[in-house]
Amino acid sequence: MALLEVENLQTHFRTPSGVNRAVDGVSFHVNEGETLAIVGESGCGKSVTSMSLMRLIPEPPGRIAGSIRFAGRDLLQLSDREMRAIRGNDISMIFQEPMTSLNPVLTVGRQIRETLMIHQGLDKQKAEAHAIEMLTLVGIPEPKRRVREYPHQLSGGMRQRVMIAIALACNPKLLIADEPTTALDVTIQAQILKLMLDLKHRVGAAIILITHDLGVVAEIAERVMVMYAGRKVEEAPVAELFRSPRHPYTQGLLGAVPRLGSSLTGTARRLAEIPGQVPDLRKPITGCVFAGRCALATDLCRQYAPGLEEKGPRHVAACHYAAKGAIAA
Amino acid sequence: MLSYILRRIVATLPVMAIVALFVFSLLYIAPGDPAVVIAGDQASPEDVERIRQSLGLNRPFLVQFGSWVWRILHGDLGTSIFTNLPVSAMIGQRLGPTLSLMIVTLLLTIVVAVPLGVVAAWKAGSLIDRVIMGFAVFGFSLPVFVVGYMLAYVFALELEWLPVQGYTPLAQGFWPWLENLILPAIALGCVYIALVARITRAAMLEVLQQDYVRTAKAKGLGQGGILFIHALKNAAVPIVTVIGIGIALLIGGAVVTESVFAIPGLGRLTIDAILRRDYPVIQGIVLLFSFVYVLVNLMIDVVYTLVDPRIRY
Repeated sequence: MALLEVENLQTHFRTPSGVNRAVDGVSFHVNEGETLAIVGESGCGKSVTSMSLMRLIPEPPGRIAGSIRFAGRDLLQLSDREMRAIRGNDISMIFQEPMTSLNPVLTVGRQIRETLMIHQGLDKQKAEAHAIEMLTLVGIPEPKRRVREYPHQLSGGMRQRVMIAIALACNPKLLIADEPTTALDVTIQAQILKLMLDLKHRVGAAIILITHDLGVVAEIAERVMVMYAGRKVEEAPVAELFRSPRHPYTQGLLGAVPRLGSSLTGTARRLAEIPGQVPDLRKPITGCVFAGRCALATDLCRQYAPGLEEKGPRHVAACHYAAKGAIAA
Repeated sequence: MLSYILRRIVATLPVMAIVALFVFSLLYIAPGDPAVVIAGDQASPEDVERIRQSLGLNRPFLVQFGSWVWRILHGDLGTSIFTNLPVSAMIGQRLGPTLSLMIVTLLLTIVVAVPLGVVAAWKAGSLIDRVIMGFAVFGFSLPVFVVGYMLAYVFALELEWLPVQGYTPLAQGFWPWLENLILPAIALGCVYIALVARITRAAMLEVLQQDYVRTAKAKGLGQGGILFIHALKNAAVPIVTVIGIGIALLIGGAVVTESVFAIPGLGRLTIDAILRRDYPVIQGIVLLFSFVYVLVNLMIDVVYTLVDPRIRY
């Protein structure tokens, strides 16, 4: 059963030079306990999508339309008060920057306690005990000492563990992780990913993982949604997507991933890049959003926007040519 | 922490010594022979000589300075030329009203200015923000005595809610004490409130852009908790600094405010002493104000460590 169902999400920002359609008509769903990855390059709207789900977009200048049904309720219809009861409790979030996402003047313990006290009505002692438990759970040594420390006394990886402890303290049904490992070095990245997966199984939470790192996607996601210029261009189960990407943009993304050992096996070639730039989202786009950068684009692409079409089992893509296999890699 | 405070107190000694040197030199920087200045226009040469002898003005400068400092260290600030009373006793009598006025003004400022600044930053660009900042400009531009007379006219003379002027010691009851201080505190606090509200708004605006504010919101905190706990504590260092600097402003403003509201405090004593060229009294008061200021600076530094754990000495 779908835990989260997003229909025609539109998040627009009013700017002095016109309306920026950062997210323009995106629909997707997340099942209970499932891990969905949202991938795309910078500025494709993936972070704005995740912030819209939590209604963390400042309004104005932002405006969110469409519907976001979470456990049967449309989040966009809730009052601020009802929404606050969901944030950090049913849906919680981990951000990209562990160095700046924790409050520097409050103790780690206080920052974990807070969500427990707001959402679970625990008193200070019980919340403190639970905070220590959470620190143990996310693998922080000496939790009893750490709970009284401030963020600047912890390393980047430790801080991200604290963020995870805060996010999971109330056993959320959905965890949104916005590039959780981007700011960490590679060895720590692996530890944090493993931790997220372990805890996901323990808590039974669904995860929306926002990333541009396809290695991470391959490792932990079950389904992948590819975004480009504020729209969904392709969606498929992870193995299917890596095996047969249908949209030229997805193919470009996969082509831009360096392959380890390719120089040894003699298959080394120059990394493929996607030429051109993301279109200006303040101007209306006719035709396919990717047409300007697509090597296969024809007049059809430039005039008519392709709809999302079934291209395989649970596999959709928005491309006029994908179905015909004319662009199979 | 304790050793830091001790070290800071020791470090203030040279500062106080330099201040003392300046204060003492007042008498010599002022044009003319100090003895003549003190004796006044109608004094005979014998009077001048007598004063010169009694004050030890015929001794070398450094010897005079040394003995002056020695006496101060023993709590003797000298004797008023005009009233013949010990300066310390005169200051003691006047300390209560001034201290009361400053404390009430300080509390009023913090209670009014900080929330105004926080709300202005939260609603930045809105009507509320513009109204608050408009009042801040207004508060800056009006001199203390204009505000003082206006307040006295409206709330004391016309509406008769509060006394026009005067002072009642705290020993005679809390309300009688406070009701005499409300109007002076508002008059004196205007500039101060404007200043602190502006700085609070600026500091909060920067903090509200930070990632951890978004985290707090994502945790489900209410607006009040986000603004006054997560954000304000981060914005506190510049705010505390300005509140401290503002105390110097208060000392200057108290002189005028006490005149407007006929409060028998140190400000009035200062004016009287200057008009009478009562140098020992002037020296005592300036020394006291400098000492208070040095103390306030120390307190600011200590408060820094309380609001920001990253600041350690």
